[in-house]
Amino acid sequence: MHRTLLLLVVGVSLAFGVDWFLGEFIEEYVVRIINLCGIAIILAVSLNVINGLCGQFSLGHAGFMAIGAYVSAYFTTTLRVLNTETGETVVRAPLFDGAWGFVPALLIGGMAAAAAGLVVGVPTLRLKGDYLAIATLGFGEIVIIMLTNFESVGAARGLPGLPNYASSFWILTFAWICVVSSVFLQRSTFGRALVAIRENELAAEVMGIRVARLKVMAFIYGAFFAGLAGGLLGHLLRTISPSTFGFMKSIEVVVMLVLGGLGSLTGAIVGAIVLTVLPEALRDVEQQAKLPGIRMVVYALVLILLMIFRPQGIFGQRELSLKLLRRLLPGGRK
Amino acid sequence: MRKALILAIALSVLFFTAIGCKDKGNEAGGSGATEDTVKLGLYVSTTGKIATFGTDTKNGVDLAVEEINKAGGIKGKTIDLRFYDAASKAEEAGNVATKLATQDKVLVAMGEVASGLSLAAAPVFEQNGIPMVSPSSTNPTVTQQGKNIFRICFLDDFQGSACAVFAYKELGKRKAAIIRNQDDPYSTGLADYFRLKFKALGGEIVADESYKEGTKEFASQITNVKAKTPDIIFLPCYYNDVALLSQQIRGQGIGDDVPMLGGDGWESANLIPNSKGALEGSYFGNHYSPEDPSEHVQAFVKGYKAKYNTAPSSLAALGYDVVYVVKKAIEEAGEFDRAKVRDALAALKDFKGVTGTFSIDEHRDARKPISILKIQGDKFLPVKQIQPQDVK
Repeated sequence: MHRTLLLLVVGVSLAFGVDWFLGEFIEEYVVRIINLCGIAIILAVSLNVINGLCGQFSLGHAGFMAIGAYVSAYFTTTLRVLNTETGETVVRAPLFDGAWGFVPALLIGGMAAAAAGLVVGVPTLRLKGDYLAIATLGFGEIVIIMLTNFESVGAARGLPGLPNYASSFWILTFAWICVVSSVFLQRSTFGRALVAIRENELAAEVMGIRVARLKVMAFIYGAFFAGLAGGLLGHLLRTISPSTFGFMKSIEVVVMLVLGGLGSLTGAIVGAIVLTVLPEALRDVEQQAKLPGIRMVVYALVLILLMIFRPQGIFGQRELSLKLLRRLLPGGRK
Repeated sequence: MRKALILAIALSVLFFTAIGCKDKGNEAGGSGATEDTVKLGLYVSTTGKIATFGTDTKNGVDLAVEEINKAGGIKGKTIDLRFYDAASKAEEAGNVATKLATQDKVLVAMGEVASGLSLAAAPVFEQNGIPMVSPSSTNPTVTQQGKNIFRICFLDDFQGSACAVFAYKELGKRKAAIIRNQDDPYSTGLADYFRLKFKALGGEIVADESYKEGTKEFASQITNVKAKTPDIIFLPCYYNDVALLSQQIRGQGIGDDVPMLGGDGWESANLIPNSKGALEGSYFGNHYSPEDPSEHVQAFVKGYKAKYNTAPSSLAALGYDVVYVVKKAIEEAGEFDRAKVRDALAALKDFKGVTGTFSIDEHRDARKPISILKIQGDKFLPVKQIQPQDVK
């Protein structure tokens, strides 16, 4: 318990320090990329628990993000609804006015996503492999279709004017919490049981692991953090629409995981950072080379080459740790 | 352990320093101008789902920039256009906006076509006090994002209402049917405002059907519409859907006495060939017409054809106009200063562009007419201009 508290304090002060440092010395554009990296880390690390540790192939992450984003925005944002019969616009002030409401709104968004995870998880986690992928994909689509039809959150038009609450401080704090909780989870009985399910579901069940229940719990954990990340992303972009959380968003997160190494926490982090920074870094290459469009070609090539030469991802299932670093450095102890 | 930690910290500090420190010496440089150049920003999508729109817009912008630079630039300074691809994604639109605002430090930014992307970029420019002019984002909420955000096209509400006015007053229609794409904010926006205005004028909406993005077979919607015997069908959709819809509507036996009507989404060189004659005698509202005989428009069409070997679309025309709007604002401001250019934009009066003569109103939107075009043979013929005051 002491350790958890200590880690939390360390994380928050670290985030505070970095936030100050970024605001003081670093260009806004770079800060924005760092913020997007933080959000990508939350997404990849939380999906890693479902796809990597537990071995359940979910494609529904964008759906959970959408729920988190819309629910949190519902509390923090001024809603304007056009009545299509009378032509009047109904304005509703934010339920949580002021910056203090951001974190509660985010948490409610995360919990709504977690609840959706429970509802979706119970029936679908009986499915395996491709079937589960299709079912979760379907879930994501259902969320998008529902949002496209909710007039109160702007329907297909989306919801503009989200307040500017997603500072580096909050993004980094939640990224820290997500990573630390994931480390704990991985080392706990729960995490080991998830790995057992991944390796052999039948054997795990024989050993007395409550497979169905643990799978649903992993799903809820992932959904909660996806919801948080969705809320953070919404408040960073300051506008959300159903199309932002399309099926490609889920694929993007899966690609981050596969690139970093499915099942590796540090791999997920590295994958998230690489895939967020790479397209932006390539912008300058494009400018220098005067080849418009080359950005996405290079991006795709990097992915293809990596998958050919390192199909297990950058880290495979291994973790990057100081121990490993020491072993790799010349003169290090074996 | 400690060594590793120190190493890590040192490395990350180095990394951050290398990738971009705040340029503290240049805080006063809100001008985006150097000795002989002025930096203007452009962000549109040249890749992704809406790449065709972005490419057309960029072509129009490039043409205008080339012309201006050839003629001596803006107040003696050549335009240094910084362009980034927003890749049809809200995240990337926000990123490139931040890049234009904080790295390139442009004087004025121009972009996006899609309202969803303009909405992601607008807060960034607003925060940095950089005027942003959207050539073609029609959603009303875009310019509500702040006092630095402008647009030079008409809005969805005006477009939808103008179509209703045209149908009711010019064509004398009383029973309208709507078929809309429920997943597309542009389509639902137009449909909603058409519906409101048509009813307010005294007409009747006999059917309001919707379909999902990607639908190719509209039999059930058309059957419902046909049963209600409308005298006009409003199709607020993009040209590819309109081509299919129109053929199926005529195919189900709704005759030529029931014209179809739509918005600027219809405009495409592919509309007439793809619809195989089903749209003969139908109407749509557009920003301009390349058939417009006025000298200014014909000079633009000629210049564009010479450079790109194709007729300019409305988006290209708006891209062309947006650069000249910015030029006029800078000249009227008299200085390369963001705040002054912003005020000049807000006060812009009677700008003569290829997309009509317009002024910027108190909501920072353009007050301009919509041209209703009639489809005849393989041509879009201008039949009527509807002014903002006609719709009020």
